[in-house]
Order: sequence, then structure tokens, then C-alpha cells
Amino acid sequence: MMKKKQSYSAEHARFLKKRRKNLVLVWSLRIGLLLLILGLWELSTQLGWVDSFLVSSPSRIGKTIASLYRDGTLFYHIGTTLWETLVGFVLAVVLGYAIALALWWSETLRKVLEPYIVVLNALPKIALGPLIIIWFGTGSKAILFMTLIVGLIVAIMHMLSAFIATDHNKILLLRSMGASKLQILTKLVVPSSVPSFISMLKINVGMAWIGSIMGEYIVSRAGLGYLIVYGGQVFKLDLVMTSTCILCILAAGMYFLVVLLEKLLVKNSES
Amino acid sequence: MKKEMLQFSDVSLIYHTKRGETKAAEHLTFTIAEGEFVAVIGPSGCGKTTLLSLAAGLLKPSEGTVERHGSCGYMLQKDELFPWRTIEKNIYLPLEIKRQKTAQNMERARALAEKYGLGDFLQSYPSQLSGGMRQRAALIRTLATDPDVLLLDEPFSALDYQTRLNVTEDVSEIIRSEGKTALLITHDISEAISLADRVLVLSKRPARVTFTHQLDFGDVVNPLKRREMSSFSGWFEILWKELNG
Ligand SMILES: Nc1ncnc2c1ncn2[C@@H]1O[C@H](COP(=O)(O)OP(=O)(O)O)[C@@H](O)[C@H]1O
Ligand SMILES: [Mg+2]
Repeated sequence: MMKKKQSYSAEHARFLKKRRKNLVLVWSLRIGLLLLILGLWELSTQLGWVDSFLVSSPSRIGKTIASLYRDGTLFYHIGTTLWETLVGFVLAVVLGYAIALALWWSETLRKVLEPYIVVLNALPKIALGPLIIIWFGTGSKAILFMTLIVGLIVAIMHMLSAFIATDHNKILLLRSMGASKLQILTKLVVPSSVPSFISMLKINVGMAWIGSIMGEYIVSRAGLGYLIVYGGQVFKLDLVMTSTCILCILAAGMYFLVVLLEKLLVKNSES
Repeated sequence: MKKEMLQFSDVSLIYHTKRGETKAAEHLTFTIAEGEFVAVIGPSGCGKTTLLSLAAGLLKPSEGTVERHGSCGYMLQKDELFPWRTIEKNIYLPLEIKRQKTAQNMERARALAEKYGLGDFLQSYPSQLSGGMRQRAALIRTLATDPDVLLLDEPFSALDYQTRLNVTEDVSEIIRSEGKTALLITHDISEAISLADRVLVLSKRPARVTFTHQLDFGDVVNPLKRREMSSFSGWFEILWKELNG
């Protein structure tokens, strides 16, 4: 652990400065690239190189957002999708973690359920669409369920393999101290699987968006997925592009929250 | 007659797997008295770790009995420090497991760490320590609950030669000055001679005790000093022949 407020050598100061400079460069280039793409996109539609009816344009997206906002439906659609995605995500992660723990705990249960999990994992969840509509109707509940099942199996399999991969020698060490199974779980299995937990969260952010948007494609009357389908059906490609861009921003935001959580969780262990 | 800390009586052990059964120990009989430092040498794969697991009570013998009088502390080949814990928290681990994490015990463990040169590293993470330091931390962790018998499974074999000599020196000094009973497993003949009061030689698998030697270095317990003594090479030759014969 570095002592805070250390006085560095001149060379180290130069090293830090160079690193900072490099970071600034990378970020300016990233933002520059984004502006370049948006600029070219706008320009090519303005100059008529491509048909803005087919590919929309940044300014038309801006206008669409403004008109959705005036309608008062912008935040309604965003909120609907965000809520479905977040709740489905949390449910999938919490349930998946709990089920993985249970499967780690009981080898018999694990062996019994293994083929079921494999099959469920391989099954394309969208095939369940009609069943879900019949069971849960066409509201948010159906989409939540879709989001949940898309993420759940991934969460279970990812965490279970992390739990099982716990270092045998470390388990042996704890057993030699007389540790109970619960102690092995809390002192070793859970903390040593934190990196896998984080990577599972990152994967499941993607899964949750797949689940909620797919769900909205099939059943819904609100949400960004609904706007995309609707926009496609009535050939309002501005609406499709706008919703897609908002989705990108939301998905990125959620991913960054996970990265933030990662920093919080692993700042204590230098590994 | 000193108190017996560990007694193996006619112990055999068979591992059962779906591919068949492996006899890893056969008719093991020996005792270890209080304060004694016993080294066990044997060819690799003969059942040394098995013997130690039996001693620690992690395995039940298929035949015979293992009697333990007092608590055991187990130290493995690798330090197995938990990377997400500081050295200090690693050292408290056995206290937590045994629900003995009292202020007094923590103080005792910390004092041990300071006494043996880990004071400056208590707040460090294992990844910031050298291999030798980590192994030393692992020993202090083993000593934290003040076990009566130390069970050491090739604790130096993962270290490079120079570090190994130094850590062997440290560990010997710590064990002797804390007055612990120790059972050391090794495949390194000179390590056994430089550390132990008594050496048991095991056969190829299944492990049987083929020879027992009381070493005659008198009061010399320092490993480096022993290595310089004239009788050292004599013992080496004897044990080498018995191990390979
Ligand atoms: N859990 C186990 N299940 C089945 N066989 C094992 C197990 N542990 C060890 N063995 C076998 O028992 C023999 C002795 O192993 P071990 O005690 O680890 O030897 P050593 O420590 O002397 O190298 C080896 O042949 C090994 O393959
Ligand atoms: Mg071994």
C-alpha cells in the first residue's frame, strides 16, 4: 500500500506527468472521434450523399428527442425500459447468485440439476415468447420475466463455476483450522469469487438489455424497444435511430456503474 | 518419558476413486513426543501429504488409529495467504475460524509477527511481500492459535535456493524458540538433517516407515551450523542410500 502524500523523485514526477498527458490524449481522441462521426453523418445527409430518410441524422435525432419531450412521452418510454431492465437485472443477479450458492453447497443438487441448466442455457429464450404472453399478459410483468430468464442462467453458471474453482489448498487450510462449511463459504468462497462476480455483472448488464428489448419487441406498448419496433413498422427511421442512441447511452451508463462498483469492491485487495 | 503428542498405530489409508483404489499408507506406526522436531522424508508421491492429512485429522484412517493430544497447526507448501486480506488479517484468520478472536489473542499474534520481523508489513497485502516473507507470514498465521503441534508439508519447496536457506533458518529459530512440537514433511534430505531431531524414512507408495534415525548433533539446532558439521555428510549418505535403495 502506497503511503499517501509521498514526495516523489523528479523522475517519478515526470513519469506521472507523462501518464496524465497520455490519458488526456486518449480522451481527446475518443471525443474527437465521436464528434467526427456525428459531423460526417450530419454532413453527408445535409449534402445529400445519403438519404436522411433511411439513415436519419444527428439533427433529426435532436428534433425527435425534442418532440418526444414535448409530448411528455420521452421519459415515460425511457423510464419503462429502464425500470424493466434494472429490476430484471437485479432479480437475475440476486436469484442467480443464491441458486449458485445452493448448487455449490449440495453436490447432489448440482448433479441432479446440471442437465436442466445446460438445456435452459442452450434454449433461445425468445422461443418462450408466446408462453410468456399467455402466462404474464402483455404488460411489464412479461418483459420483466423475459429479462430475468435471459440473465438468470448466465448468472448461475458464471457464479457456480467461480465457486467450484475455489483453490483446493486454501479449502484444505481452512479445514485444518477446523472451519465449518459455512465458514469456508463466507471466509473464502465468496471473497475469492468477487472478480468473477464483477465480470458476471458486466455480462449481465448486456443480458438485461437483451431481455428487456426483446421482451418489448414481442409484447409491449411502451418502452424504447416498443418505439424501435413501432418506428420500423411505420417507417419512422428517425424514431428508430433516436431510441437506439438513447439505448446506447443508457447501456453505457449502467456499465459504468458496474465499473464504479468494481473500483469500490476491489480497491482493498491489490491483486 | 516426555508426553506423547501424536501417535500413529498401525495406520493404513486407501483412497477410493472411480478409477480404482490407491493404497497411500500402510501400517504406519510411530509417535512424536512433546517438543520434538521430526522430519519425514520419502520419494515424491509416496504418501507424505497423506500422512500429514491423517495427522491433522483431515483424513480418517482406513485401518488403525491416530491419536492427537493437543491442537494442530497446518502449514502447506505454498503460503496460501488470502490476497484480499492484509497480512495482519491473514494472521488473524485461524482465530476467526476458531472463534477465538479476542483482544488478547490478537495482541499475541501481532506480537509474534513483530517479534519475527513482520511488524512493518502488517498492513501490506501478500502480493507486496517476497516469497520468503510470505512463507514467514504463513508460519505466524499457523502459530496464531498457539497450536501444540506444527504440521509442515514441504513448506520450503516452492522457494528458490537462497531464500529457502534463509527461511529454513528463520522457521527453525521460530519453532525452537517457541518450544513447539513439529512434524516436517520433505523430500529434501539435507533439509531434514539440518532441521530435525529425528528422521523417519518412508518407502515408495504405499508409505511405510522403513528407517528411523535419532540425529546426533547434540545441542546444535541451527540449520546452517549443522550443514557445516562433519557428521552432516555422513547422515546425508545414509539417508540417501535408504531413500534410493
Ligand atoms: N484425494 C486423493 N484421491 C485419490 N488419490 C489420491 C488423493 N490424494 C493423493 N492421492 C494419491 O495418493 C498417493 C500419495 O499422495 P501424496 O500423499 O500426496 O504423496 P506425496 O505428498 O508424498 O507426494 C499418490 O499416488 C496420489 O496420486
Ligand atoms: Mg505432497
